[in-house]
Amino acid sequence: MFLNTWFLPFALLAVTTLIAFPLSRYLAWIMEGKYRVPRFLSWFEKKLDSGPQNWKQYTAALLIFCTLLFAFGFLVLVLQPWMPLNPDGKWMLAPSTIFHSAISFMTNTNLQHYSGDQHLSNFSQIFFILSNMFLSAAVGFCALTAIIRAFRGEKFVGNFFVDMWRVVVYMFVPASFLIGIIFLQQGVPMTFESFAHVSTLESPATQQTIVVGPVAAVEPIKMLGTNGGGFFGMNSAHPFENPTALSNFFNTMAMMLFPFMLVLMYGRMLGRLRHAVVVFIVMILLMAGTIVWSIYFDTLKPNPGFTGDPVARTYDVPSASAPGGKRTVTVPAVAGLPVDQHLGNLEGKEMRFGTSAGATYAAVTVDVTCGAVNSEHDSLNPIAAISPMVGMWLNCVFGGKGVGMINMLLYVIIGIFVAGMMVGRTPEYLGRKIGAREVKLALLALLIHPIMILGPTGLFAATDWGMKAVSNPGPHGFSQMVYQFSSASANNGSAFDGLGVTYGLANNPSPAPEAIPWDIAAGLVMLFSRFLPIVAPIAMAAYLGAKKSAPFGLGTLRDDGATFGLLLLGTILIIGALLFLPIAALGPLAEHLGPIPFGG
Amino acid sequence: MKKSISKSLLLLLFGVLITCVVYPLALWAVGQAVFPFQANGSIVKGQDGTPVGSLLIAQPFTKDEYFQPRPSAAAYNGSASSSSALAASNYALRNRVATTLGPIVKYNSGAKAGQPVAPDVESWFQQDRFQGAPSIVLQWADAHNSLAQAWVAADSTHAGYVNDWTKSHASVVAQFVKANPGTPQPQPSDLAVVFFETFSKENPGKFPSAVTHTDSAGKSMTAIEPVGAGTDIQSTFFDMWRTDHADAPLQDLPGDMLTTSGSGLDPHITLQNAEYQLDRVAAKWAADTKRDAPGIRAEIEKLLQDKSFAPFNGLAGEKLINVLEVNLELRNRYGAPS
Repeated sequence: MFLNTWFLPFALLAVTTLIAFPLSRYLAWIMEGKYRVPRFLSWFEKKLDSGPQNWKQYTAALLIFCTLLFAFGFLVLVLQPWMPLNPDGKWMLAPSTIFHSAISFMTNTNLQHYSGDQHLSNFSQIFFILSNMFLSAAVGFCALTAIIRAFRGEKFVGNFFVDMWRVVVYMFVPASFLIGIIFLQQGVPMTFESFAHVSTLESPATQQTIVVGPVAAVEPIKMLGTNGGGFFGMNSAHPFENPTALSNFFNTMAMMLFPFMLVLMYGRMLGRLRHAVVVFIVMILLMAGTIVWSIYFDTLKPNPGFTGDPVARTYDVPSASAPGGKRTVTVPAVAGLPVDQHLGNLEGKEMRFGTSAGATYAAVTVDVTCGAVNSEHDSLNPIAAISPMVGMWLNCVFGGKGVGMINMLLYVIIGIFVAGMMVGRTPEYLGRKIGAREVKLALLALLIHPIMILGPTGLFAATDWGMKAVSNPGPHGFSQMVYQFSSASANNGSAFDGLGVTYGLANNPSPAPEAIPWDIAAGLVMLFSRFLPIVAPIAMAAYLGAKKSAPFGLGTLRDDGATFGLLLLGTILIIGALLFLPIAALGPLAEHLGPIPFGG
Repeated sequence: MKKSISKSLLLLLFGVLITCVVYPLALWAVGQAVFPFQANGSIVKGQDGTPVGSLLIAQPFTKDEYFQPRPSAAAYNGSASSSSALAASNYALRNRVATTLGPIVKYNSGAKAGQPVAPDVESWFQQDRFQGAPSIVLQWADAHNSLAQAWVAADSTHAGYVNDWTKSHASVVAQFVKANPGTPQPQPSDLAVVFFETFSKENPGKFPSAVTHTDSAGKSMTAIEPVGAGTDIQSTFFDMWRTDHADAPLQDLPGDMLTTSGSGLDPHITLQNAEYQLDRVAAKWAADTKRDAPGIRAEIEKLLQDKSFAPFNGLAGEKLINVLEVNLELRNRYGAPS
């Protein structure tokens, strides 16, 4: 049982780390532009190259391209009814859902308020999903590259269009193709047909219509690009997206790979690999922490919904309306159901991945802000569900493609600033003095995240928008709302699926009643939480990089030692806890403390 | 600015060409040429050559001759995957598991070891006392309003039964309207709780359930009637029976037999689950083929062992079997179930 449980997460962390070290050298080599390519490829590069850009031009190009990508995605979804590869004539998604989905995929979030198997044609899967998955993932990557160059003191931070080309064509496409072949061999379909019809074995046979499609093309970049938007409604839990234990291993590894490599690429391009390794260790410790937490509470503990609680409890609750100002609440004893739970909580889990695979995946997918799921997070044990939430709240445990490292840089700047204040010395990063302007920009980028989670959650929890959408009673209903906005703001994309946010196709006669406010609110949250934490750090890096570099002194805090690592870890945990512990107490902690079951 | 827009357009064009045309076509070519079985959905065929299912997608099996897959929140719909999304703290989850357990769970030890608890649940139900208080159905409806409402909404005959009841209980309905001025014309589902409260008092030890009668002409008629035994009683009231008999030693059932999967289409069950179903499956095939039961049981047991596999050869999980694969083999060996 010990081996069954811990082999998989350990193997994942070890193998991905071992691959990331050498491969990050390739990434740095490509982004430095030291490669030679065949002429037909350099023709494309020359066509795209608009010359060196300073940080403002680079950022403007990034924003313009993203706007265009949004418009393109919106158009493809609107045109769905009239496009090919749509044999059952699917109508278009509801307008608010198109708005939400176009933002969701353009921002690399992939929060889905629709179900791929029910609502998208194969044409939309290819031209909307695939294009966005490759291109939006590359945007975050390019932003990090620009920051690195700015930190190096370069006035021109590269050319956005060439960088995009490099990331998509020299990294994502070949890597996706290789992993795609592995997935194909394991059983992921790859066809332009939409359905397979079978009549089931039992007689009288029932007709089963099975959705197939170009799944093997979507799956690799969904993971490699930390996109996470499933071809099917149930994402990587669906047997066609993730058919075996081996495919699940590669699935999980693929989403960890680029976030791992980018931290090391940062170090290599700055010539400060040791510093990057310290950051890497901090991140991997946090990741291991979230994995151990979710496995301990979800795989090694039974689902508390089936276990017993032999003691009845009585509470006196202050109540103004009750006689004597006190009301007595009794929580009855609960008998255990005869369920063998030695494999842990199996509700919402698939069997083929392995004992701890669901819990491991739940932690990893939020740490790297991928958002794919191979189990139902709504059905995780209450306290285990803190792990995915913490991953989204911190948003820097490797984090999404590029932006995770960018978020970590904000914590680095804040941490060094706080340490500098404590010892009374001017804080420095990479030999340059951190001034008020840099800290302001870092804080702006950092604080948008809690504001975008706590504000809308409060609004929705106080109105019918939220209360009519939740599907589980009590604190768990609150968790559902917290989770949705955390996922949107972290650009993650996983969800507590019970939340009623799906309008469906525009001609759906009975949509979820509050789907439209959720579409719009989550869409706006994703937009702000994507671009402010990209633009502000680029500006910060440009201002910092423009300063004169001072030599190392005795009083300089070394950024490549254990002291720095602990400082960084402490900063992350303290800031994270200050911001999010209260809602953790209202949601998953309260649910864990019971009573279970809660109400009728 | 203008330059950025034109270059953005160009990047989008190149990007779409490569990622939406070249890349998927290349993978498609590899898939169809090298892995055609997998690339088209791992569809398997029966003896007559017609496709009977995908090895990766669960399909419903109800006959006792076949191993049954895990319960599905998607009703085994291959075009709409779905999980239950029920939280551990949601009573609906516990209720779903308890209702599955009631008719099948057995005693583990003691004088009744190996015998089903269902008859005891029924006789306890007929006594009509829960936690020392009378009227089980009344207490059930009071504690779980949503279940009472779900019962009314589950079937048109249920709603019809409540409708008929309102006609003979005008005073109760009038009282409900007086207490709930917000619903001047209550629907059957609004009245669910009051209905069960009254029903429980008028029919102690009974619950409304579908009963089929055959009249003298041989025509069968199904109607809702108050009954004191049957599957509805065994499943609906198992959880309450368990509360009254918390110490009764019961046999644990495999967890994957009672929980729904993430996709609702999980094609596997644990070997433990299959072994649990083995007695039923073997006995039924023995009856169908008129062969000796121990012989068939040994054959099927061997089949299970042969077809079982574990994730990473056991490094990451316990032994599983593919339900369709095994059932297809059973069908090919023993013919169609009678």
